[in-house]
Amino acid sequence: MDPNLSLDELLASAEGVLTGATDLVGLERAEASLLGRNSVVGEIRRAMSGLDPSERPRVGARLQEVTTVIAGLIATRRVELEAVGESELLRDDGVDVTLERVTFPRGAIHLIQQTIDEVTDVFVGLGYMVASGPEAELAWYNFDALNTPPTHPARLETDTMYLDWGNPDDQVLLRTHTSPVQARWMESHEPPVYIVVPGRAYRTDTIDATHLPVFHQIEGLAVDRGITFGDLRGTLLHFAREFFGPQTEVRLRPSFFPFTEPSAELDVSCFACDGGEVGCRVCGGSGWLEMLGCGMVDPNVLETAGYDPSEVSGFAFGVGPERLAMVRHGIESIRHFIDNDIRFLRQFR
Amino acid sequence: MRVPLAWLDEFIDLPTRDPSELALAFTMLGHEVEGVTELSSDWSDVFVGRVVGIEPHPDADRIRVCQVDIGAGSSQIICGAWNFEVGATVAVATPGAVLPGEFEIGEREIRGVVSRGMICSERELGLGDDHTGIIVLEDGIEVGIPFSEVVELPDVVFDFSITPNRPDAMSVLGMARDLAAHFDIEYRIPQVYWKPVAGVPDLRVKIEDPLGCRRFTAMEIRDVSVGPSPFKIRQRLRKAGVRPISNVVDATNYVMLELGHPLHAFDADSVVDRELVVARAWDGQTLTTLDGVERHLSPEDLIIYDGQGPTSMSGTMGGARSEVSASTTRVFMEAASWDPPTIMFMARRHDLRSEASTRFERGVDFNLAEVANQRASALVAEWSGGEALEGVIDVVGTPEHPAQVDLRLADVDRLLGPGFTVEEVTSILRRLGMGVDGSDPMHVIVPTFRPDVTRPADLVEEIARIYGYDRFAPSIPTGPTGGLTGEQRRQRKLHQVLVGAGLSQAITLPFVSGRHLMDLGLPLGEADLLTIKNPLREEESKLRPTLLPGLLEAVRYNLSHGSNSVSLFEVGSVFFTEPAEWDPRLPEQYQRLSWVRVGDVGLGTLGVHPRTADASVSLGVWRLIQDALGISAGVSSSSPPGFHPTRTAEITIGGRVAGHVGELSPRAARLYDLPGRVAIAEVDLAPLLAPIPPARGVAPSQYPHVDFDLSFLVDSGVAAADLISQTSETAGTLLESARVFDEFAGVAHGKKALAIRYRLRASDRTLTSDEIAVVRAGMITAAAAALGAELRGA
Repeated sequence: MDPNLSLDELLASAEGVLTGATDLVGLERAEASLLGRNSVVGEIRRAMSGLDPSERPRVGARLQEVTTVIAGLIATRRVELEAVGESELLRDDGVDVTLERVTFPRGAIHLIQQTIDEVTDVFVGLGYMVASGPEAELAWYNFDALNTPPTHPARLETDTMYLDWGNPDDQVLLRTHTSPVQARWMESHEPPVYIVVPGRAYRTDTIDATHLPVFHQIEGLAVDRGITFGDLRGTLLHFAREFFGPQTEVRLRPSFFPFTEPSAELDVSCFACDGGEVGCRVCGGSGWLEMLGCGMVDPNVLETAGYDPSEVSGFAFGVGPERLAMVRHGIESIRHFIDNDIRFLRQFR
Repeated sequence: MRVPLAWLDEFIDLPTRDPSELALAFTMLGHEVEGVTELSSDWSDVFVGRVVGIEPHPDADRIRVCQVDIGAGSSQIICGAWNFEVGATVAVATPGAVLPGEFEIGEREIRGVVSRGMICSERELGLGDDHTGIIVLEDGIEVGIPFSEVVELPDVVFDFSITPNRPDAMSVLGMARDLAAHFDIEYRIPQVYWKPVAGVPDLRVKIEDPLGCRRFTAMEIRDVSVGPSPFKIRQRLRKAGVRPISNVVDATNYVMLELGHPLHAFDADSVVDRELVVARAWDGQTLTTLDGVERHLSPEDLIIYDGQGPTSMSGTMGGARSEVSASTTRVFMEAASWDPPTIMFMARRHDLRSEASTRFERGVDFNLAEVANQRASALVAEWSGGEALEGVIDVVGTPEHPAQVDLRLADVDRLLGPGFTVEEVTSILRRLGMGVDGSDPMHVIVPTFRPDVTRPADLVEEIARIYGYDRFAPSIPTGPTGGLTGEQRRQRKLHQVLVGAGLSQAITLPFVSGRHLMDLGLPLGEADLLTIKNPLREEESKLRPTLLPGLLEAVRYNLSHGSNSVSLFEVGSVFFTEPAEWDPRLPEQYQRLSWVRVGDVGLGTLGVHPRTADASVSLGVWRLIQDALGISAGVSSSSPPGFHPTRTAEITIGGRVAGHVGELSPRAARLYDLPGRVAIAEVDLAPLLAPIPPARGVAPSQYPHVDFDLSFLVDSGVAAADLISQTSETAGTLLESARVFDEFAGVAHGKKALAIRYRLRASDRTLTSDEIAVVRAGMITAAAAALGAELRGA
């Protein structure tokens, strides 16, 4: 046997042998056949002592060279085969990412609460505080302190729910708006006053698509030196743009409330059409959406609170989160807000 | 209130007749336009005609052959109506006319006789429902003019919602006056034909309640012949939404719509003893009103009496006994000014809100009574062929004078911002009919038709209204200190935590019945509940002392709509009958948090049946809240009403009971028709949101920990928390955590095994095995001593 010739043959066959190994076990066998004791390399190694001493270094060097090359080829093949194995493992370990195997439960904050939080945040950003007060309230704070005369029809039992409680001179009712909180706040705070008052209000209304006997209101009040009608307009314009979008315009038109003078209704430009599109499903084609009542705080209200109406002035507004939410989210009936159907509640996350 | 534009035209020459431009003007004056109805007509071929001849049809009994003059010779028209004779003025549709319903008029032959058009009924022209005969117009209308001129078509009718402070705006005149100020133009009051005869009404008027009746004027019209009003007047009334009745009644309604002052016409011969006395009624009296209803009067009712008794309800509705009828020949016309609240309460008490009462309850101009009375009397005379007497009975109960207000420019500046001048302000106020003298202050005399204007602020509103609400430049003032309080921030966090735990927020109505609460097993009597005097529904007249009934109903609603798993929470008020501590004038009321969960809860995993709601789930939610809000609370076993007696915890915070967490009692679950276990809780909100001390930062130990498990056998009544706290005590600061990782009940009767994993770690050293052994032994001893616990497997 010519060792040199045999080594050349071995080297030439190595690549084919290794390619023939398709897994790591096969690679073990191939390695044994190429470099093991019974391989050509093993035979030559054993036969080295029988070689002519002058031949030995040359054959030895060649042997070393060939085994190194083959070992390199084996290592490369091993990496290849390991990668294949790993990818097979990973493939078998895969998941269907479209299948919901684990669901973390999550509820929803009531849309009215979300609306209240959103609106109060707008005003908190303008330096307002958030105030609250009792729902079973004295007629004094609900009406008298707000310049509502004793004969005003809003006081009638057809409009207001009265409680069978306490002293008849201190009539207790379910507040018809959150405005009594302004009277309570002003009674115990000096100007400047910047507050918003979210909360529940009650009226003797039977339930239909636009009325609930219990609903929510967000009252706003700013009393300070130099508060003007333009401040009312600017503040509500800011609010409307925050809530309905930056393109929103507002329109103030004269109205009447006992607790403000001048009084106004605020209309917000329709966000669904480009102002007065015939048959618009949101505004009905008028281009405007009636949104809230507001005005400059009546001097009688300021006086009752112990403020001097020749020194300070203020504005107030009352907005219904139900109305805001219905308009913005296209909700056709106010009843959804008290049905508490989770299929409805979860639409608003 | 409806106002036809054609009627308004009599009062003002408007710069525009465009309906939307006018609607905008009204809107910006504060008169909300609820509807705009454009009445059109294509009656180019309908004319006023006069019947000049009538002959029977040669070949038909029920129709007649008429010769009708329509200004250009006479036309032969066949007509089936019999309510007219020769000389009648009628509406004639000539060939080519197209009537409502695409009904085209042509020349046709009826049984051999040619008919060149049609004499029309109200229904055929779409003017009304009357089809009993053709329209017979009053004499004096020019023959040949287009019929549309008579009925003032096309026209536009505006429907307004007038704010309660503006009684003056409830009239054509009032609208004209506001528009005149808006456009800065003139308006006028059209004159009526007025030729009274000498004489004073044969009537005595007495006001016994001068506060209720401010002024009472009466006039008399004689030789009245009751019949229909002029056709044009009837059309105007119809457009304004008022049904024509007779010339006398129409005259009162016409003047009310035009000037805003309601009137009432009495059949003078039915006024017993020729006297009218205004006084309050007394219990037991009755009065049958025009609508035929017998009214039981109360001492607050303000009534007009004659010699026989009650004969009219002031400002609300007349009485049947003195009603004007077809046989009436003499009329007393009343124009009176009433105390607004009196009329408002009376109208509501008797459920009788009329066009008159809605005006009187807002306040009708004191100074308008005589003008209105003369106008109405003149119209009755003109339309009925009668004579109005010149004399007016005018009795004043409480005189009213124009308000006088001093307005400083500073008042205007303060509310509207600087920039207005005395000249501008004076000019605006004068446009509104106010008298203005002086410069600063301006001395303003307010006409009595504006009872809402009594103070500088009211004048400022008028200035803003006429100047234009939308012309004020927007600006944004800001508060000096704002932001949410700690409690408010904590409440928002609470909401988020609950939502993260799978609960959705509900809002339920706070009205409950005794039955709701009995079903819950609450030992409350009716007297313990706050009661609404005038509830929407008698069976829900109580205010809730607990949020649970509403939530349980909401859960049932969801189950019945196909949801299997429902988790709801609510934060809302509960009410009690004790006086509130913070304001004893009010009943106690505060906010609570409550939740109800049924069905699956928690992590959902495919193929593994998820956890379902029960007491442990409720307790888990509670611990989550406690953890999220940093609340230290005590939890102990409890049996409050409504809750499951052995699966409920009482929560104490700061030594006070804050609420309960657990499961609904099986009995209540049955009564509420809820299947399976129902996890519930109700906790007062305030202690959850109360400020907590800031947490102290402690550096985590860098030394190794040691874990070991101890399994104790205890009586089944022993609370796990007690076992942990007893064993923890001996470990002192070395104990990092202790957690029950297994509970096993089947060991021996009345016993349970609790396996606890303890973790020890020192902050300053590595613990030695000796130290650990001492702690471990101490725990075992303590558990045995305090709770009789035996170490299992020992």
